[in-house]
Amino acid sequence: MRHAALALILLSTFHHVAAAQGTLRIAMTAADIPLTTGQTDNGGEGQRFMGYTIYDALINWDLSSATKPSVLVPGLAESWGLDPNDTTKTKWIFKLRPGVHFHDGSDFTADAVVWNLDKLLKADSVQYDPRQSAQGKSRIPAVASYRTVNKLTLEITTKSPDATLPYQIAWILMSSPANWETLGKNWEAVAKTPSGTGPWKLASFVPHERAELTPNQDYWDKARIPKLDKMILLPMPEVNARVAALRSGQVDWIEAPSPDAVKSLTDASFKIVTNAYPHNWTWHLSRVEGSPWNDIRIRKAANLAIDRDGMKELLAGLMIPAKGFLPPGHQWFGHPTFTVEYNPDEARQLMKEAGYTPEKPLVTKVLISPSGSGQMQPLPMNELVQQNLADIGIKVDFEVVEWNQLINIWRAGATDPSARGATAINFTYFIQDPFTGLIRHVQCNLAAPNGTNWGHYCDADMDALSNQVRNTFDPDAQTAILQKMHEKYVDDALFLMVTHDVNARAMSQKVKGFVQAQNWFQDFSPITMDK
Amino acid sequence: MADTITFGKVTAVPIAPVRGKGYWASVITRLVHDPVAMAALAVILTIVLAAIFAPYLGLADPYRGSILRRLRPIGFTGYPFGSDELGRDMLTRLIYGGRLSLVMGVTPVLLAFFVGSTTGIVAAYIGGWVNMVVMRVIDVFFAFPSVLLAIALSGALGAGIVNSIVSLTIVFIPQIARIAEAVTTQTRNRDFVEAARISGAGTLTIIRVHVLGNVLGPIFVYATSLISVSMILSSGLSFLGLGVKPPDPEWGLMLNTLRTAIYSQPLVAALPGAMIFMTSISFNLFSDGLRTAMEVRQ
Repeated sequence: MRHAALALILLSTFHHVAAAQGTLRIAMTAADIPLTTGQTDNGGEGQRFMGYTIYDALINWDLSSATKPSVLVPGLAESWGLDPNDTTKTKWIFKLRPGVHFHDGSDFTADAVVWNLDKLLKADSVQYDPRQSAQGKSRIPAVASYRTVNKLTLEITTKSPDATLPYQIAWILMSSPANWETLGKNWEAVAKTPSGTGPWKLASFVPHERAELTPNQDYWDKARIPKLDKMILLPMPEVNARVAALRSGQVDWIEAPSPDAVKSLTDASFKIVTNAYPHNWTWHLSRVEGSPWNDIRIRKAANLAIDRDGMKELLAGLMIPAKGFLPPGHQWFGHPTFTVEYNPDEARQLMKEAGYTPEKPLVTKVLISPSGSGQMQPLPMNELVQQNLADIGIKVDFEVVEWNQLINIWRAGATDPSARGATAINFTYFIQDPFTGLIRHVQCNLAAPNGTNWGHYCDADMDALSNQVRNTFDPDAQTAILQKMHEKYVDDALFLMVTHDVNARAMSQKVKGFVQAQNWFQDFSPITMDK
Repeated sequence: MADTITFGKVTAVPIAPVRGKGYWASVITRLVHDPVAMAALAVILTIVLAAIFAPYLGLADPYRGSILRRLRPIGFTGYPFGSDELGRDMLTRLIYGGRLSLVMGVTPVLLAFFVGSTTGIVAAYIGGWVNMVVMRVIDVFFAFPSVLLAIALSGALGAGIVNSIVSLTIVFIPQIARIAEAVTTQTRNRDFVEAARISGAGTLTIIRVHVLGNVLGPIFVYATSLISVSMILSSGLSFLGLGVKPPDPEWGLMLNTLRTAIYSQPLVAALPGAMIFMTSISFNLFSDGLRTAMEVRQ
């Protein structure tokens, strides 16, 4: 009897040890907990921590590898493709995953998808949520209509043939209609107790302070059921505060440590985890009439003036020098003929041909922000660029505006009075898919404020390439066109291409099992905490 | 003894305790004998003179640096105060930085001194509903903390030196106007003002001759104490990106761009803050000394 009791105690102890994989505390760069109701705010970070944790999209990103670029994988849809009976190539059929339940126990069906799309796109629907719509609507510009075919089949019709639809759909997260009904059709109430289908559930949430997530043990993808007991998210926008929090043991993981803090962190035995990911740090050049950047010699000269190795020194190595608009080695990089490198002599020669010298410089104004998500270290980085450009005869005056104001100016476009006559804007880009990576910056009909072509660039050849990308449904053929598009980006020096971030995060040695995908989003399911 | 009264005519003779030449001489004497105030003045003068004559001091270029020599420690060869995040000489940047920091610290106070004093003195002297309206409007500004008000105004006006000066001036006008109104209200009820009024002196004459001489001193002392606040606020605006634009050296902006170096070169990162602290406390101590020196009873 005593042995049996001892065995029971030991068994329960071992069971506890096996199940308890600890609590992970993460300091985010966001100033607040991202919107919890489905479509998150706070950019890529919001989607990373409050999007793909609590929710799923019909199509997810494969976040399991650190060594290869992420690709799309089935999420709540098991398969998708063009309707073979549709000659217009605008009808897509999505076969949904059976047996998936929301956290509240309700079933995931095609009706739920239609309900979620209405939530974003139909302002007269009961569940329409302006806050989520503001975040999600612009992500799916191709969608014209959608309908339930049967319980597990959905049809989406696009405005025109558009092969980039799956990338757009990967942004749209599915929240529970039943939960919204139960909570009195009130999105404020849903924010406190949201219900998705994702691997994590929101256990508690205090705005501006913390959010606690616990594993969804019934998650449909058994391989991705979180191993941790709990994950706590803390908004901590000030970089030194994040470093101090990590060093003092207040958190186990911080997003985006400052480069100058890296050595002190590694000296104190913290891990710095980095990886390439689809990000770039650019000056988006205005191409409106009168802009000096309409002269290709000046655009090329500026790109040849940047001392990217010097910038790497400034950032303690936490960057990948730009060789193009996309990171080197990217599958869409292609073979541009213009080499993006530091060559001040050639840059000065080009400027001389354009009529400018360091003594008689071109004077222009550029919009920058003192901080911002993805902006890295904007003040010193821009100052270095300013110095480099001064050396070849481009005198830059900065117009410094607050980050959210800069975003608004970016949305309004270079011709808007809010741009204050600036001919370039320092903006970092999410370049994860054909649309967000390449098309949206250069298509004529997407000139801001209709789209996010800030500089009002318009070129018939580039437009033709964009249309080809949208009309090419074979992945290999599409890749070949995207390579041509990127070659034109580089050969025409459409942007001031400076650097790519490496998605640095610092963490305690206790954090185990994290695989940093080459993606803005990450999978927290395999992580455990050492005792 | 000085009053001469004749029937049918009132001869206005100065009867007010106007502080004459002897008063200011005694103020200066007291000030000169205040070692703390003199030390503070010496610090201020050193910083001001260094800033003015910076181009003649044989310093390095404040805008040029070598990225390979970034964040050198204090005392490094060729960099007595270290180098900043872009490898520029910190000593040079700190001295040149004094120019904009002082301009942004002193100018709003000077402007607010003129506008606020005029507003407060006129409101107090006229009194009645004019005083009430002016003071209630000023109360509205007092409802906002100065830092928030400065940030809000700068945010609305846009970043830049001129806009920062304008927003800080707006922040300080109510504070100075309130003091001016208070001291003027006390003065206008004094016997010598009443006597001047009875003697037939006009409003402007009374304000110019009898009121200003008695109220400007306290207002000036208060205004000098605001210089330190102004410097801290203007540095704060630059820190937030609402003041000076890169690459111009300014202590608040330097503090911002160096803040991430706090773990690698903490002493270098702290230098702009030390300059703000030293300058603002010097202005405060000098202001205290001036106030003490002016508390002279005749």
